[in-house]
Amino acid sequence: MEVQNLVSLIPWTFVAQICNLFIQMYLIKRFLFKPINAILEKRKAAADAEIQEATKAKEEALAMKADYEQNMLEAKTKANDILTTAQKTATVQSEEILREASQQAASIKAKAESDIAQEKRKAVNEIKDEIGSMAVEIAGKVIEREISEDDHAKLIDEFIANVGESA
Amino acid sequence: MEVDISGARVFFTIHTNIPVLGDLQISETLVVSWLVMILITGLCIWLTHDLKVENISKRQAVAEMLVETANKFVIGNMGEAFRYLIPFVAALFSTSLVSNLISLVGLRSPTADLSTEAAWAVVVFVMITWQKIKTGGIGGYFKGFTQPIAILTPFNILSEIATPISMACRHFGNILSGIVINSLIYAALAVASSALLGLIPGLVGDILAQIPILDVGIPAILSVYFDWFTGVMQAYIFCMLTTLYIANAAEG
Repeated sequence: MEVQNLVSLIPWTFVAQICNLFIQMYLIKRFLFKPINAILEKRKAAADAEIQEATKAKEEALAMKADYEQNMLEAKTKANDILTTAQKTATVQSEEILREASQQAASIKAKAESDIAQEKRKAVNEIKDEIGSMAVEIAGKVIEREISEDDHAKLIDEFIANVGESA
Repeated sequence: MEVDISGARVFFTIHTNIPVLGDLQISETLVVSWLVMILITGLCIWLTHDLKVENISKRQAVAEMLVETANKFVIGNMGEAFRYLIPFVAALFSTSLVSNLISLVGLRSPTADLSTEAAWAVVVFVMITWQKIKTGGIGGYFKGFTQPIAILTPFNILSEIATPISMACRHFGNILSGIVINSLIYAALAVASSALLGLIPGLVGDILAQIPILDVGIPAILSVYFDWFTGVMQAYIFCMLTTLYIANAAEG
């Protein structure tokens, strides 16, 4: 078999090896770098998407928290308002009730007083009449004669009025 | 005992009668080169089938590691602007490495043929020159030879030409020396074993002396250096020089 020299430059081999190198470059690019880079890119995209999602979720949570705090604050204010209003209403109502009660009491008292006065007057008049007739009777018995009641009515009235005043 | 170390065998010749190129000889170098290409491409296809984004297999992890290593090597040495050279450097490295190591299975390394390294070195040289012209313009390129003073021009031209020659010869020399030394060791051990076993008297000694028993095992130890270490080292050096020269050319 024919043999080339140990150290030699064979033009055809030279050209062929240049071609081989570039073919090999294409093959490596096509079968190793392209698929692997694609998968690395995909993984990176997935990781990025996940990070973005997490950031979004965090933002949402923070917004929710702020919302919740705002709501809580509003509720607190509202509760305070309600409490204050209720207290005010209660005070006003209690004052009204008290005033009404005292008014009623005063009117009851006044009525009672007027009743008492009327009763008293009535009693005095009755007593006056009684005493008048008694006095006339007694006097009639004493002087054994009939004294005209009408004649002495004025006198008796005067007497009783004196008694009533001193009583 | 005669030791014959020759160049690549020629399987058949196609007469082309093209001047300069001469006859097309399908040599051992070319055939093994194609085998190397098939091996590398097959490995790539095997490594990258059934890729997944999550929960990756060991095979995919290796493929990703190879790609990342190539990316880091090229971008680390040359910068982000040379991302497009990653497949070229990867092809150069893998072809060189597999070509060097294929001698372990008894085939003749394509890198044991100066034509192979010369082809690679010339490609790299063209890239360096193209990069220089791209960076400094054609005027800047030629002016670069007269730096720092005009009298150095011949030396600058010489050093420019020396770049591809040294790259090619460094790689070729290392691989060839490995082959030469391996051949010598095989031959020497055959002689030694025949001498050793010839000491056994009688017919037994004569028969045993024909078997080069020392050739089993001992050359394998030496091949750790001459095939493995040199093979990996030269592939690495060749790619390292390629990236550094081109990156240097880009700096102007």
